[in-house]
Amino acid sequence: MNERDSFLRRLRSGLWGLPRSAIDDIIADYEGHFDAGRAAGRSDADVAASLGDPARLARELRAEAGLRRWEDERSLAAALGVIVGIIGLAALDLFVVLPVLVSVVSTLFAFLLVGLVTALGGGLMLPFAFITNLPGFTGDRLQAGLLSLGVMSGGAALTALCILFTIGLVNLLVRYGRAHYRLIARGSNAPLRD
Amino acid sequence: MDSNLVQFKKGVLELCVLALLARSDSYGYDIASRLSAAIDMGEGTIYPLMRRMQKDGLVSTYLVESSSGPPRKYYRLTEGGRKNLNAQKAAWTDFTRAVAAILELDLEKTS
Repeated sequence: MNERDSFLRRLRSGLWGLPRSAIDDIIADYEGHFDAGRAAGRSDADVAASLGDPARLARELRAEAGLRRWEDERSLAAALGVIVGIIGLAALDLFVVLPVLVSVVSTLFAFLLVGLVTALGGGLMLPFAFITNLPGFTGDRLQAGLLSLGVMSGGAALTALCILFTIGLVNLLVRYGRAHYRLIARGSNAPLRD
Repeated sequence: MDSNLVQFKKGVLELCVLALLARSDSYGYDIASRLSAAIDMGEGTIYPLMRRMQKDGLVSTYLVESSSGPPRKYYRLTEGGRKNLNAQKAAWTDFTRAVAAILELDLEKTS
């Protein structure tokens, strides 16, 4: 197999998960590059070496696609895409960032869970408060009802706050990711043409 | 290559592409081979950058039939791209002038 085919194959395999049309588009760009290189009298091996590492190129292209998707739709899947893309992109700094990220995300998740459970608990208490009053509660039904309502809205507020914070966090990650695109180094056997 | 230098060059890559396209429309291979000599970079870097710039609306593309092989994708600067170029160019000129002034000051002191 020659260098052109092996470059394109490694690029394609690195792009898995992207939409078919995007992959074909990207591959067409690099095929055109090889064609133009041939027309300029360069060998496929020379062109492949000057292009750089296809796996690294694929990681960058995939990460960017993930960031774009998050900017288009604020969904949980898109947020996960951002995180996965950045993990693929910034392999080295990640030893510093990952522990921080893991603790922040787990704290956030815990708060989110507490918020959800509190909201749910308040919601469950509400009908009981009006029908039979709360077991072991000394006030009247109105007080019990207001108490349930308070617990429910407190939980909802905490949940909403967690979601807002998550959106902010993912936006921050997007900026971190963009700052980490790098120039892809030419292959070590590429001739310098100055 | 020194990693600081890499970050430095990465920052001006987009500016250089905009400046090249302001002179005339061009295709990926041409842009890459002209810039890779000036900014020591892998030629493959250009395509992720072009995709990003296209999605940001700085450049648009069109196909041109070529005598040999499939049609070639050309890039053209959009109105937004031209504005972006002017803004970046002004910032770059101010910055380099300020740095040059400081470097010259240094030179006068030591000599």
